[in-house]
Amino acid sequence: MSDPIIRLENVGVAFNAQLRVGSPRFWALEDVSLSLAPGDRLGVVGRNGSGKSTLLRTIAGIITPDRGRLKRAPVSCQLLSLALGFVPHLSGRDNAVLSGLMLGLRRREIMQRLPAILEFSELGDFFDQPISSYSTGMTMRLGFSVAMQVEPDVLLIDEVLAVGDTEFQQKSGSALRERIHSGKTIVFVSHDDEQIQQVCNRALWIEHGRSMMQGPVEAVLAAYHAAPSPSSPPPAGS
Amino acid sequence: MRLHLVELILFSTYAELRAERARSYLGLLWWIVEPAMNMGVYYLVFAVIFRMGGPDYIPFLLIGLTLWQWFKSCISHGGYSIWQQLPLIRQVKLPLQVFPSVQILADTVKFLCILAILLIVLWSTGYPPNVAYAALLPVLLVELIFVAACTYVVAAVVPLVPDLRFIIEQVLQVVMFLSGIVFSLDGLPPALRRWFELNPIVELVDAGRGILMRGEWPDWFALGRVALISLALYAFGSLLITRLTPRYVKLPT
Repeated sequence: MSDPIIRLENVGVAFNAQLRVGSPRFWALEDVSLSLAPGDRLGVVGRNGSGKSTLLRTIAGIITPDRGRLKRAPVSCQLLSLALGFVPHLSGRDNAVLSGLMLGLRRREIMQRLPAILEFSELGDFFDQPISSYSTGMTMRLGFSVAMQVEPDVLLIDEVLAVGDTEFQQKSGSALRERIHSGKTIVFVSHDDEQIQQVCNRALWIEHGRSMMQGPVEAVLAAYHAAPSPSSPPPAGS
Repeated sequence: MRLHLVELILFSTYAELRAERARSYLGLLWWIVEPAMNMGVYYLVFAVIFRMGGPDYIPFLLIGLTLWQWFKSCISHGGYSIWQQLPLIRQVKLPLQVFPSVQILADTVKFLCILAILLIVLWSTGYPPNVAYAALLPVLLVELIFVAACTYVVAAVVPLVPDLRFIIEQVLQVVMFLSGIVFSLDGLPPALRRWFELNPIVELVDAGRGILMRGEWPDWFALGRVALISLALYAFGSLLITRLTPRYVKLPT
């Protein structure tokens, strides 16, 4: 196995609960350890509020850990963010450029990819209209088409695998799966076991901000489902 | 990497100005009409009603207000920019200096438009261009650094203490009156005036008035001192933003 490109050792992240002087902090991540090797497709499972999204943003480098150690090789990590920085009064074209710049692309690169964005988003003449005239589905199509132009070394996905209406869901889903299986390193947060099984080669289970288990997908999912839910009693008869 | 940020700031500025134009019926016209109305109010109150000033009061007031508006609008817009972008900041890793810089640049573009009109007004009312105009560029450059420095500091602090929004406008109002924008500070006793001159805005506005009204060269020593203070404050503001960035993303939503 190659050296890990990202390694978390007993990482904890605390947030301010309220905007008040002396307000207590709560630990969204208590103690998480994981390691990610190039080409890994790591699925993160856990119940609501277990810290999955915080973990993704910590890996992305947006959040700095308050304790523990985070080691990252010089790689780019990017959250798959749709409609990042979109401005309602601007055209789809201008928003594509703006969003692409925020996602770290050079202007020249985005300009070259505008035809691909226009084609994939299927916006036609609407591409030059302000996005305030778009439906939610159209905005998502544009957002997804721009997000797919960014090719970070490590792609971080929070639940979203497909967007838009049924037809575009298939198209966006298959584009993203193609990306995922092209040898990219992925961290994928999901509630959906089936998606984790399809996408990932390893899994991490976190509970109340603690990493419980990391390993093969089937084994982790089995352990996760076998554990009693800490916040609610097990269903009768189980 | 750095070039990428320059591209981001420039395009965001274009986007900001363009979106602003689209948000109202009169669009770009407001860039001129709003400050003109503002100046009109001060003219009415201080020149017509209170009969301040003397023959030079109108250019004195217009130049002061033009330079002041630039400072004020950068603080009011740029100062809130990080706070307003918190949802975005939680999604993507960017040097947060980008956000106040975009507002400063957008307000500077608007300022330049107003300055152009101010110059036309001055030329047509008996204050023609003169040799000292050569000093206008360094004076404006120093003001830009000072404006950016103050905006960075405000932008760094507002996300942590959003309550500041309620007092910033009042503080700006007081600073305006203390900076000799509408009243001349010449009437003050010299000992007191020396204290007022520690305020960089007083130096900058004085320099601007000297050049545009009287063809006087600025006090280079004083300008240099303001430049140094501004550069130091700019570095401090930028460092403050960098240092506080980990805290912004952990603020409650």
